[in-house]
Amino acid sequence: MESLKALFVDDETGYLETAVKRMKKRGIDVIGASSGTEALETLAAQAIHVVVMDVRMPGMDGIQALREIRQRYPLVEVILLTGHASMEVAIQGMESGAFDYLLKPIDIDELIYKIQDAYKRRQIQTKKIETIEKLRGGEREK
Amino acid sequence: MIQRLRTFLSKFRKSIQAHSDEEVEALRVGFKERYHQFKLLLNANNRALELMSEIERALQGSTPFGMHFVRSQCTRISTDVFQIIKHINALAPNKYSVLFERFKEIQHQLNPFVHPSTCEIKGPLVMPMATVDRGSADQTGPKMANLAEVAKQLQLKIPDGFAITAAAFECFMASGDLQAEIDRRIQAAEIERPDHLYALSISIQQLIIEAPVPSHLSQAIAKAMEQLEAASGRSVFLAVRSSALGEDLAETSFAGQYRSVLNVGKETLFTAYKEVLASKYSLPAMTYRLQRGIRDEDVPMCVGCLRMIDAKAGGVLYTRNPVDIRDDTMIIHGAWGLPKSVVDGTTVPDQFVIRRGDTLAVEASQIQHKAQRYVCFPEEGVCRMALTGPEADQPCLSDAQALALAEMGLRIETYYGTAQDIEWALDDDDQIVLLQCRPLKQISPGAKNLPAADSRWSIRAQGGQTASTGVAAGKVFIVNKEADALQFPKGAILVTAQALPRWAMLLNRAAAVITEQGSLAGHLANVAREFQVPAIFGLEDATQHLKSSESVTVDASTCRIYHGRIEELLALREAPRNLMAGSRVWQMLDNAARLIIPLHLLNPDSPEFKADKCRTLHDITRFCHEKAVQEMFRFGKEHHFPERSSKQLHAQVPMQWWVLNLDDGFTTEVDGRFVELTNICSIPMLALWEGIAAHPWEGPPPLDGKGFASVMFQATTNKALLPTVRSTMTNRNYFMIAKNYCSLQSRLGFHFSIIESLVSERTSENYINFHFKGGGADTSRRIKRVQFIKEILEPYGFRMTIKEDHLNARIEQYIMSTIVQYLKILGYLTIHTRQLDMIMSNPTMLNHYRQKILAGIDDMLAAKAVASAKPEMQSAGL
Repeated sequence: MESLKALFVDDETGYLETAVKRMKKRGIDVIGASSGTEALETLAAQAIHVVVMDVRMPGMDGIQALREIRQRYPLVEVILLTGHASMEVAIQGMESGAFDYLLKPIDIDELIYKIQDAYKRRQIQTKKIETIEKLRGGEREK
Repeated sequence: MIQRLRTFLSKFRKSIQAHSDEEVEALRVGFKERYHQFKLLLNANNRALELMSEIERALQGSTPFGMHFVRSQCTRISTDVFQIIKHINALAPNKYSVLFERFKEIQHQLNPFVHPSTCEIKGPLVMPMATVDRGSADQTGPKMANLAEVAKQLQLKIPDGFAITAAAFECFMASGDLQAEIDRRIQAAEIERPDHLYALSISIQQLIIEAPVPSHLSQAIAKAMEQLEAASGRSVFLAVRSSALGEDLAETSFAGQYRSVLNVGKETLFTAYKEVLASKYSLPAMTYRLQRGIRDEDVPMCVGCLRMIDAKAGGVLYTRNPVDIRDDTMIIHGAWGLPKSVVDGTTVPDQFVIRRGDTLAVEASQIQHKAQRYVCFPEEGVCRMALTGPEADQPCLSDAQALALAEMGLRIETYYGTAQDIEWALDDDDQIVLLQCRPLKQISPGAKNLPAADSRWSIRAQGGQTASTGVAAGKVFIVNKEADALQFPKGAILVTAQALPRWAMLLNRAAAVITEQGSLAGHLANVAREFQVPAIFGLEDATQHLKSSESVTVDASTCRIYHGRIEELLALREAPRNLMAGSRVWQMLDNAARLIIPLHLLNPDSPEFKADKCRTLHDITRFCHEKAVQEMFRFGKEHHFPERSSKQLHAQVPMQWWVLNLDDGFTTEVDGRFVELTNICSIPMLALWEGIAAHPWEGPPPLDGKGFASVMFQATTNKALLPTVRSTMTNRNYFMIAKNYCSLQSRLGFHFSIIESLVSERTSENYINFHFKGGGADTSRRIKRVQFIKEILEPYGFRMTIKEDHLNARIEQYIMSTIVQYLKILGYLTIHTRQLDMIMSNPTMLNHYRQKILAGIDDMLAAKAVASAKPEMQSAGL
């Protein structure tokens, strides 16, 4: 079974570096990107299962990037992590398909649990698609 | 995708008897997905409930919180509740879509408290002082408005100058989205930690200092400066002072929390302006706002630019005694040079006490040795100069000057109708110049009926002056520099050399303050009185004499410090008032809480228990939780899926226990109708079962005639007790389990209980939720029984509420081993409180059962009782 690969997206490079380093220390296979555009480039180049992304970023903001990701890679789960506490943006994010909307500062364990939950959902979704495909094959044979 | 799966599932239903391997697998995946959804719902529900209790604690407690707390709590709860609604609608597609509407409506009502719309401040960017009066307070801040008002109305001398307004502040902060960036940094920081708050304060101040002044604002300021110089006919130097909105009020003085930059020339005016703006985010100012519940957005920083007075002498006049509300004498504190040394607590100033009456008179004066004074540099800035001549011991004011000053104070007091705190200066022409006036907060002399010093109490030190009354005890902590302040422990006694205004940031943690220098006229003394922190200033050699970590009791009212804790003195302390209560931030949270916390949907059997009846976010969580459990059961039953539907626990007992495996609660595949305990690997279920099976139930308590009659009456009138009536109370006992989750719904005797728990290595997600309701006896005895259970659970730290005969107990974020122990206790109580409502009117019996249950729990936890919980062993009681 494929193992979890995460992408952390934040324009604050200091925060990004610290977060990636700390998550790696906890055994999470994670890489960083400093913008929405860079995140999309990374997703095009390699298999990523869970994206943790800031909301307020220059250029393509987190909500725009989230919509792009969900459209291009529906199985990739996106967790929004922001210092901007806005109920409106939170709901907008979740309506656009975010797995969750978390606020900084966040305990690293909490974030890792959330990533694991998101990854579990992805695994279930993948399994479901495989099962449906099998059933379709079975029906065709009948 | 879900629709596609559903289509397949409906096909399975038609051919339920003939499952192909693929079909079984599809259902297995379908069920797994539902369980995952259910678990996410539970997690979100659990978090929302925790956040609600945090809000309740914040409103009731004395720990301060800011708007960032209000925003983050409301955003987090909204996020969780929205997730809950999403999950329940995934479990039962479109069945509960009305919840989205209810949620949006509640959120709409919540929004103004969380993200209040700020009115655009209109008006000029700069106002000459000649055009300012009391009505300009919203534009110039009360400090400048009050000053200009009395100057006009009472013809008092004040320095000329101009005010840079609130509109200017807004214009500055809007430029480059500065305010949004500051808000983001505050939101993302852990401001409860002093070191984080310190770093945040530095970073925000840096941001402001580095930001450019927008060109139209800089032009307006430069023009005002030119006009001032033109009117003076020479170069002008300024005192650039904060005059924030909300500053200088009696209840929230902000004394010394913001910056003043003295003797500023034209070239550095913009830098000084930005320094004063930045001081809005100084560590003491941020701490102060946090303590007092003042929103950042309510404090636009206006700035007064007043001609610098190179004072011969200066200081502070209190028109009444701030530490004794009954004393109406006036007190003048003064020193040579600028008044700065008096207000920043770096000197022990001269003191003049003025008696009121038909004529004012100097009642007493205390002239100190003044070793130094602040003076203006000829170029720019101020410096401290040593005073070596006879001047150091001479009074800084003559009696005539002191009386003239008191006369001015009296006029201002009469004009404003309240005691005043006045900053004054004596200029080159020996004229009194008014620099600032604000309402003076007075406090009572201290605890009532303080006993005279007892000879048993050993005095550690005494002397100095009462800067703020009261009694406190704690360990001495000596602060010499800011780095020490970051380590300052809560509840310690702050001992420091100078009464600097910046130590105000420690007043939320300090039990009392002792300084070697400073007077009750300083800013720190002001804030100490506001925060009700006892303070003794001017105690010589305090930092040398008192030792770090030694335990002392400080009686600031008598200026005595005792060895150790003197409980008799401490017992007389007045209860501290909650500085947050009623504040703007507190009100915002309180208003938001009204839309979040009240629970109206209590009874799932009530016809009112409907999605469209949810009035608060708590209602939505309660409703969804109930329905989610039902939906999980319904799914298992509807699909007749042998592997997943409920199985009867194989136990040779009269009672039936059913188990529904949600995901990974069984060790292996289980065929047939029954499941053995050895097949179960659900951690919380096994813990509960251990409690259930620990001791056999001895049967119902013996009833007296009254108890029996009550049961008979209830049995004939309470329809919910009839087995033929379908209601929640007649449902069988069932466990819904996964490896880390268990929900036990049970009906034993006439009571109904739910125990739900999530327990794993993820401590932050662990919780137990326990509901207990009903019984066979009358209402008063049923209520007594839940109170009895509450008493038993209290020592374990459960948070509990009782509404009529319904007990709700909750605990969370304990490590796995503790949660497991508590589940055993709940399992035990589930069995052994059966029918105890019958004897609740009999104190002797009640006491007997209390002792018995407590002993039983102790035995069980000490593993003296039944070591392993096998269903066969608890046969008799169940």
